[in-house]
Amino acid sequence: MWPAAVGNPISPTKRHRLDQRHWAPYAFLAPAGLFAMIFFFVPVLFSLYLTFTDWNPLSSPRWIGLKNYKYIFTLDPYFYQTLTNTFVFAFGSVLLGTAISLLLSFAVTRIKGKALWRTLYWLPMVTNVVAISYMWTYLLDAVYGLVNQGLALLGIAGPDWLSSPSTAMLSVIIVSVWAGLGGNILIFSAGLEGIDESLYEAARVDGASVWQEFRHITIPLLRPTLLFVLVTGFIGGLSNFALIMVMTGGGPMQATNVVANYMYQVAFQNLRMGRASAMAYVLFVIIMIITLVQLRVFKRGGVESY
Amino acid sequence: MSQRLGRVRLLLVCLAVSLALGLAAAIPNTASAKVKIVVASHYGQGQKEYLLPYFEEYMKLHPDVEITYQEITFADYLQTVMTSRVAGKAPDIYHLYSLWGVQMVGNGALDRPPASIQKMVRQSFVPSSVEAVTMNGQIWGIPTEIDNYMLVYNKRLLKEAGFNGPPRTWDELLKIAKACTKRNAEGKIVQAGFALERGWDSAVVHPWMALLYAQGGSLFSKDFSRATFNGPQGVKALEQEVALFKEGATDPTVSVWDFPTGTIAMTIMAPWYKSTLQKAMKDRFTDVGVAPIPAGPAGNKSVQYTFYWAVDSKSKVKKEAWAFLQWLNEQHPGQSSPMGNFLTKLGAIPSGKNDIAAHKAELGDAFMEPFVNALKYSVPEPNVVQGQEIKTSLMNHILEAFYQKVTPKQALDAAAKEINAILAENY
Amino acid sequence: MSKTVYPRSTSEQRSMGPSSPREGSTRTLMPRSPQALRPATGPNVWQVGLDGGKYFIIALGALTMVIPFLDMFVGALKTPAELLARPPVWIPHHPQWNVFREIWYMVPMARWYMNSFIVSTSVTVLVVITSSLAGFALAKYSFRGKEWFFRFVLAAQMFPTFLFLIPNYLIIAHWPAVGGNDWLGRGGNGLLGTYVGLVLPFAVNWWGIFMMRQFMLGLPDELMDAARMDGCSEWRIYWQIVLPLVKPALATLAIFIFLSAWNEFIWTMTVTRAAPDLQTIPVGLQLMRDTFDPTRNAALRRAALAVSTLPVMALFLSLQRYYVRGLVMTGLKG
Repeated sequence: MWPAAVGNPISPTKRHRLDQRHWAPYAFLAPAGLFAMIFFFVPVLFSLYLTFTDWNPLSSPRWIGLKNYKYIFTLDPYFYQTLTNTFVFAFGSVLLGTAISLLLSFAVTRIKGKALWRTLYWLPMVTNVVAISYMWTYLLDAVYGLVNQGLALLGIAGPDWLSSPSTAMLSVIIVSVWAGLGGNILIFSAGLEGIDESLYEAARVDGASVWQEFRHITIPLLRPTLLFVLVTGFIGGLSNFALIMVMTGGGPMQATNVVANYMYQVAFQNLRMGRASAMAYVLFVIIMIITLVQLRVFKRGGVESY
Repeated sequence: MSQRLGRVRLLLVCLAVSLALGLAAAIPNTASAKVKIVVASHYGQGQKEYLLPYFEEYMKLHPDVEITYQEITFADYLQTVMTSRVAGKAPDIYHLYSLWGVQMVGNGALDRPPASIQKMVRQSFVPSSVEAVTMNGQIWGIPTEIDNYMLVYNKRLLKEAGFNGPPRTWDELLKIAKACTKRNAEGKIVQAGFALERGWDSAVVHPWMALLYAQGGSLFSKDFSRATFNGPQGVKALEQEVALFKEGATDPTVSVWDFPTGTIAMTIMAPWYKSTLQKAMKDRFTDVGVAPIPAGPAGNKSVQYTFYWAVDSKSKVKKEAWAFLQWLNEQHPGQSSPMGNFLTKLGAIPSGKNDIAAHKAELGDAFMEPFVNALKYSVPEPNVVQGQEIKTSLMNHILEAFYQKVTPKQALDAAAKEINAILAENY
Repeated sequence: MSKTVYPRSTSEQRSMGPSSPREGSTRTLMPRSPQALRPATGPNVWQVGLDGGKYFIIALGALTMVIPFLDMFVGALKTPAELLARPPVWIPHHPQWNVFREIWYMVPMARWYMNSFIVSTSVTVLVVITSSLAGFALAKYSFRGKEWFFRFVLAAQMFPTFLFLIPNYLIIAHWPAVGGNDWLGRGGNGLLGTYVGLVLPFAVNWWGIFMMRQFMLGLPDELMDAARMDGCSEWRIYWQIVLPLVKPALATLAIFIFLSAWNEFIWTMTVTRAAPDLQTIPVGLQLMRDTFDPTRNAALRRAALAVSTLPVMALFLSLQRYYVRGLVMTGLKG
């Protein structure tokens, strides 16, 4: 595939070998580098250009300067709301997801048949997002859904979940947590298994309760993992929108509309590619700032490899 | 261990084969010399079965033509057309919703029909449908399905609540709706007096538009320079709908899709709903009654939209495409066109005059007749640039009023502000 | 396109990377011995209770994991009347097994499966190759621009998917000299409507490069130096020495990439709107949603969902003992 890098089978001179060591890394990086040119730098610059244009895909882009940004920040009826939603969604799902998966991994680490249990949490990981969305749309249906029917058996009137603006966001957060548990549990389990069992034994000899073990052994030793899962999960959550797109389309009443989904609507339903690109850039700048903060947090939190 | 290696090897072979398959499939096939026409429409399962046989028939008559049907979900239609046009991969024949036409025409996406087709449309189609396909004084396609809105109600539920006929005024409607609503021990609605659908933009906006027209209001000023729907008539129309929520006769969990289960007393719906109701309700279908939407100061009004066939301006087979459409829609006295047959099977109203005449029986049944009669006072949805965006904005704000986050006046004022900005770009 | 393209697995993918609990803060607080907190009845009862609690939590969690799938499966077997019945019918009286046959005729499920398989394996193969190559270069060579490139790999991961959606669409559509395009990319469809167009924007994964680099850092340099002394070319070092050593990491990468590609939705939907023959499982399910009339075909849609998920699930679960260990291992080493 990269003929330049394939060595001559007949033994060449040592001099030649040294040369090869010089250019081999470039050959190895070539595919990635070429890809970066075509599918990274060109798109990044092109979408930057688009943010200064008015463009519906049937015509050609028209330069309008900063009007898109001005519209987004001063006139757009939903931009700030979707921005808030984006943060609520990312923050909510990562906090809830981390807490639950930490608890479950802690519970699952030292019991019998953990492979089977872990397998169950993997189920959503191998299920496509559209199927997950519809499955949960059925479960959460206000009238026919299993959740509310179950609650009714207990004499509780379940909320309208997806069709009420006050519970819709909570609902999509729950689903997103549910879908991501397996991955988090895997990471935490790896971390937990790395903790020396003798620490727990020593603690038990000292009469520590399970909570104390968790609080004073598990948490401190898992801190780098924990921090990493929290921060990267948060940043990932800021740009995820497939689940929301399929489940609620951002509704009801924009209650679950996140910037990425809103941008998709603006681009492909309202046919305003320029304005949508500008939104994408605003969100990107926000994500970048957060990531820079993240890097500092990592350095302080003892995660060195980033 | 060796078994494991075997598995790995097998996996690798699988990978290689599928990669090769992928690459092979990437090479475009340039086989047959037939004229290929791609027809894209939103007719799906339960509908397209009635349309596709006519495609087959045409292909039998014209062995050199190959027609491919592409089904596109209605909600994705405009999006799909746009993206495929950017790619130069657009279908040859569109089945367009009238609201999308302006944009398509404005950007040169549609082909001007040949004179013979223009003549046919002008002469033998219902005037309001001709209006829908006319932009800048030019006819751009062949109108097909006409939909307007009527009050659809469940006779049995009304009778159980002690009402023998449909409401004539909105106050009466409110009273019946309240009487027909039943709640369970937890306070959830198990039988709703009225269903106001929120699932898609037309379902939200159209019933309100009908009420707006009945109040004597209008959406925009004549020259489309500004929104007029937030005047007292529009506000009154929205207040009428919101009253159903306030009085507890409906709530956001109630969906028109529950109508067939006999748990919805009334709703406002279009004729295409017939085939769904028929199939789902079977012998219970006789429970369904159709009546005019309660009249307002401006009398009985309804809102109407039209679909039409059009040909892409970049299509390589325009001539053949128009020939096919002509065959599919041609109006002969005393006869129905294939399209007319298809639409009436669907429960829709065709727009060809001869089609309507030829299907007196189907269009005259208890369900369809009121819809057909109401065509007289149904107002076509205006052809406005960025119509889809405008409609979405309206939907968002109407929903805010439904959920009672804002008053009807506030909702419509907010919508008007947004929509005026959109109109100012183009008018 | 960066790895963030894959909507759902983002956090999981990323977090596989650099966390290394062993190297982390080891400032362990040894528990004091709080005699006062020790229950009078002795630790055993406590322990049993807590173990019970653990099992309760796990069982509850497992139930939450399984029930949605069961609900979908059982729902597919119900008649329309049973689906809408109040009070609910929990178990269908006359299971409608035929829906599982019908669904293959109603929607091009076999086609979707084939497309998903072709696209996902192609992406996986490409990413494994490009990631291991670039990761190797970044881990084991010193050359000008290395730092710069590595930083770029890190930074590129921050760019959100949707920033690339529109431009990539145009790049694929205007790919020069294919699909009827001229050398300037005008005139035809480019790579749109081909598998290549679906796969190419995912051919390189920045997270994958990062992960492979981290993993390869740990390989002993002596091995490679020895091979060089023996006259091995750099390519052979990569192919015959390095790759076999990083097999677990490659397997992990492959699994994650395959799953993300299998579930990828936004890009494929955007490009295959006009090319139904290329739609993958999730895209097909979403775009054909109107095919399933809410009142009549609710059971069929559930059947479609079940058919689209259960076989994949069975495949992954049957293979899991081959990869879960690898996942845990690389998760540790990252």
